[in-house]
Amino acid sequence: MLRYLRLLGQWALGWIGALGRASTVGFQSLAGLPRRGDMTLLLKQVYQIGVLSLIIIVLSAFSIGAVLALQGYTQLARVGAEESVGLGVALVLLRELGPVVTGLLFAGRAGSAVTAEIGLMKATDQLSSMEMMGVDPLHRIVAPRLWAGIICMPLLTAIFNSVAIGGSAIVGVDWLGVDAGGFWGGMQDGVQRWEDIGKGMIKSGVFGVVISWIAVFQGYDSTPTAEGISVATTKTVVYSSVAVLALDFILTLVMYGDFN
Amino acid sequence: MTDNLIEIEGLRFSRGDRIIFDGLDLVVPRGRITALMGPSGTGKTTLLRIIGGQIRPDSGRVIVDGLDVPNLSRGELFELRKNMGMLFQSSALFTDLSVFENVAFPLRVHTNLPDEMIRDLVLMKLNSVGLRGARDLMPSQLSGGMARRVALARTIALDPKFIMYDEPFTGQDPIAMGVLVSLIRGLNESLAMTSLVVSHDIHETASIADQMYIISDGRVIGEGTPDILRDHPSTMVRQFMLGSPDGPVPFHYPADTFLDDVMGDA
Repeated sequence: MLRYLRLLGQWALGWIGALGRASTVGFQSLAGLPRRGDMTLLLKQVYQIGVLSLIIIVLSAFSIGAVLALQGYTQLARVGAEESVGLGVALVLLRELGPVVTGLLFAGRAGSAVTAEIGLMKATDQLSSMEMMGVDPLHRIVAPRLWAGIICMPLLTAIFNSVAIGGSAIVGVDWLGVDAGGFWGGMQDGVQRWEDIGKGMIKSGVFGVVISWIAVFQGYDSTPTAEGISVATTKTVVYSSVAVLALDFILTLVMYGDFN
Repeated sequence: MTDNLIEIEGLRFSRGDRIIFDGLDLVVPRGRITALMGPSGTGKTTLLRIIGGQIRPDSGRVIVDGLDVPNLSRGELFELRKNMGMLFQSSALFTDLSVFENVAFPLRVHTNLPDEMIRDLVLMKLNSVGLRGARDLMPSQLSGGMARRVALARTIALDPKFIMYDEPFTGQDPIAMGVLVSLIRGLNESLAMTSLVVSHDIHETASIADQMYIISDGRVIGEGTPDILRDHPSTMVRQFMLGSPDGPVPFHYPADTFLDDVMGDA
């Protein structure tokens, strides 16, 4: 029994220590910005993290939008409300699926890449050599990746939502023959700017901060070996995915209010 | 200003239960080449990282250029490091930058020099290590020895007051090794620098070092010029200087006897 208590205590202390180190990395990375030359570093990371994630985001979005239209049409056609498929798909995407699926894809594509890159730089002494040159790697390496993740996540979510709605329109209107006026008109009338689009974007921004923070910290704190980097990369994807799903529940509870 | 660039007193540092330094004392005089030698695993690289402020010791004084390194703030530490250089054993080149950009990196970050001047300086530094013609190559296209020379060019880009060399001769062919030996000596004299060299290559290191320290079991066991150390009264120091396999410095990592291990349970 005592042994289990001790192990539990060690695990808890390890977590508290990691949280403290993660806070330090996050704070020191963002402190003192912006400086000369930061914009070039940031733009390079926006390209690496955001632009290079576009393919997986667009393909997944189109596929999910198309499937939602198919499923929505099948159910709604039974009660003769197939024109509502546009509104239904839009609400599901803007409020939930857009931010959540983009977050999960972002963690898998960009988060893991950031962790592996920083971890490898650590393992090959590139971060140490930067420190010894009087250049702070938290500012030079970590901060641009952190900011780029925070900036790109809402943009990728907006693109995901647009493409998914486009995919649902192609399936719903062009293929299944839903009336275009009803499809788009229902969406226009039913979707609210703040309640649906705004709050979805807030979720996406929060996910961007959390995923980027986890990714840079796991890379920076990784054990500088091949196995250490592998573990860190896995942790980034697992922790980010769990964090996105858990935060989605909490944010939905807080933002969409009264469920009684 | 004292005559010593680095003064270390009573340094203690441990990793878990393992004591790395147990009251180590050491000084590095200005303008001289000091060599740090000792059996593998005695913490020579760790000592360089402590001097550079990358690792904080458990106790003891580490004074570099008059500054108490363990008690410096993060900002003060980065300021101090602008006058320091360190050549890493792994070279530590930035893999996403070309040879030219690697050497230009510290100049671009720490100075406002125009591009033309940075170009001239980078070519001068690369020329001094014989790799001006390799300026457009990427680090993945370099051999281990070439990477070390590029790293040296990058280390001296800002003409630091003090350079720490971590195993600079490892993996070098005889020609490159000879060039590196004369480069370290030449740089130290022409730029009035101070050098601290960690190396296992006794002959090369002894040929350029003004003074040497031999550390073992967390303490300095011998110090002086290479000639003094070769005739040192300690058998441990002499064994290391002559590279003898038999002697008080154990070849084996501490363990049970071989017989116990072999006959014991799996």
